[in-house]
Amino acid sequence: MSEDHHSPEYYRGRFKKLIYSVGAILIIGTIITFAADLMGVFDNFIHAVIFALSVAVIKASAVVAVFMHLWWDIKWKTIWVTLACTFVFLVGMMWLTVGSEVDSMKPGHEDSTWNHTQEPVE
Amino acid sequence: MEIPYNSKPRPDTGLYNGKAGIWIFLASEIMLFGGVFSAYVLLRVGADPGTWSMGLMNKWVGAFNTLILIASSATVVMAWVCLKLKDWTGFRKWKWATVVFAATFLIVKWSYEWPAKFTHYDVTFTSQAAAEKTYKAVLGEDFAERQTDEWQKRYDPKNDILSKVQLKDMPLDGHIVGYVDSQGGEHKVGSAWGISFWSHAFVWRYDRKNLQKKSDGTLQMGEDGKVVYKKGDYKDTFRDKDIAAIILMPAHGTWDSHNEGHAGSGAVRYADAKGESAAYASHDHHKTVTIQRDDISRLSSFEPAHSTFFATYYTLTGLHALHVFGGILVMLYHLLPISHRVYENDPERFTNRIEITGLFWHFVDLVWIFLFPILYLL
Repeated sequence: MSEDHHSPEYYRGRFKKLIYSVGAILIIGTIITFAADLMGVFDNFIHAVIFALSVAVIKASAVVAVFMHLWWDIKWKTIWVTLACTFVFLVGMMWLTVGSEVDSMKPGHEDSTWNHTQEPVE
Repeated sequence: MEIPYNSKPRPDTGLYNGKAGIWIFLASEIMLFGGVFSAYVLLRVGADPGTWSMGLMNKWVGAFNTLILIASSATVVMAWVCLKLKDWTGFRKWKWATVVFAATFLIVKWSYEWPAKFTHYDVTFTSQAAAEKTYKAVLGEDFAERQTDEWQKRYDPKNDILSKVQLKDMPLDGHIVGYVDSQGGEHKVGSAWGISFWSHAFVWRYDRKNLQKKSDGTLQMGEDGKVVYKKGDYKDTFRDKDIAAIILMPAHGTWDSHNEGHAGSGAVRYADAKGESAAYASHDHHKTVTIQRDDISRLSSFEPAHSTFFATYYTLTGLHALHVFGGILVMLYHLLPISHRVYENDPERFTNRIEITGLFWHFVDLVWIFLFPILYLL
């Protein structure tokens, strides 16, 4: 944070307003997601996933940026390099798992690696 | 010896050491939760229709806990702001508020949500005839039209599965309120400690596949006239309690009269397996059905062994709850007198500690922000 962001006036004034704003985003985001599910807004499952996860990403971004002070701290190499490495790891891991399933859905492909069929009831 | 850079930033990183450390720790936590999230996605996408029973989750409880955790995330940052403003009293107030919210989250999860699942049962049947007999007793002659829609919503709300699952494999869910022993004696199974959702029928198990069969497929009977189990150590409540039949109270919300308009016309009919009305519990709409052991293919509460969904649900929420518990311990430590002495000796160092704890706590909140829609809604 720059020197301005360390002043008591900043914490007493602007930063508290930011906290309330993020709190509002979190509450509204939760209510919207929950209400959309209860009312069955999305017939299409993929659309529901995209909507719910988009709202979750917005909520998470607000928490990370303000509550975790990343908006000010991201300039520090120790933090952004660590997070960048983590992000690459996450994307790679999701790519391997989700990507393998997506591949198996393509014409001519068959997924026999992960079979979770229930045991037959005798 | 004084440990350097606890209060002041280290010149090369621009951060005090604790902050650099917590970010590296949080990166490892992202990888940990990323691993289980990715496993969840894989299992979910690969699950057969009808096996991903997330419609059984209590969404209202999940939403309530989400709001509780959001509130705790705001209060923990307010506590840190108070320290920045040299306000020790305000810090204590907001920190206690955070601890109360966090404890509420765990109390809801560990004393209500999980126990309610451990005492809620699924029954599948050995044959179509047994399933028809039981469903008729619960819903009446027109059970096929009335039961299937509700069943679909509960057991795999995102897939059209009705045409792919046989009636005998469609679980009937409810609470065990009693059982009949092999001598025909009836035993009531009531609530534990007077708490309605805590039942003495806690994680009961029966699975016919554990029974020894003869070459013609019929059950092997021992010299004592009882069934014989395959080799291995099986937890089996039917053996332990000498159960010949269970008395099941079909679940609220799906099978009872609250859903009359939803499930079909007319009152929901309840009766025992012989077709006679059976009012076992005190409330009128709490009727029961008796299901013979030989008709039961599998009895399982909503425990981890119930299904892949519940196994991953307990893994994810259990791992998250452990983080919440750890956070509570650290926050309580910061409210002890010893922490006040640290604050008086070096306010900036203590404020940094609170910031680090806050970063961890926000991460716990972040994980739940994704867990809630994934486990309860999608």
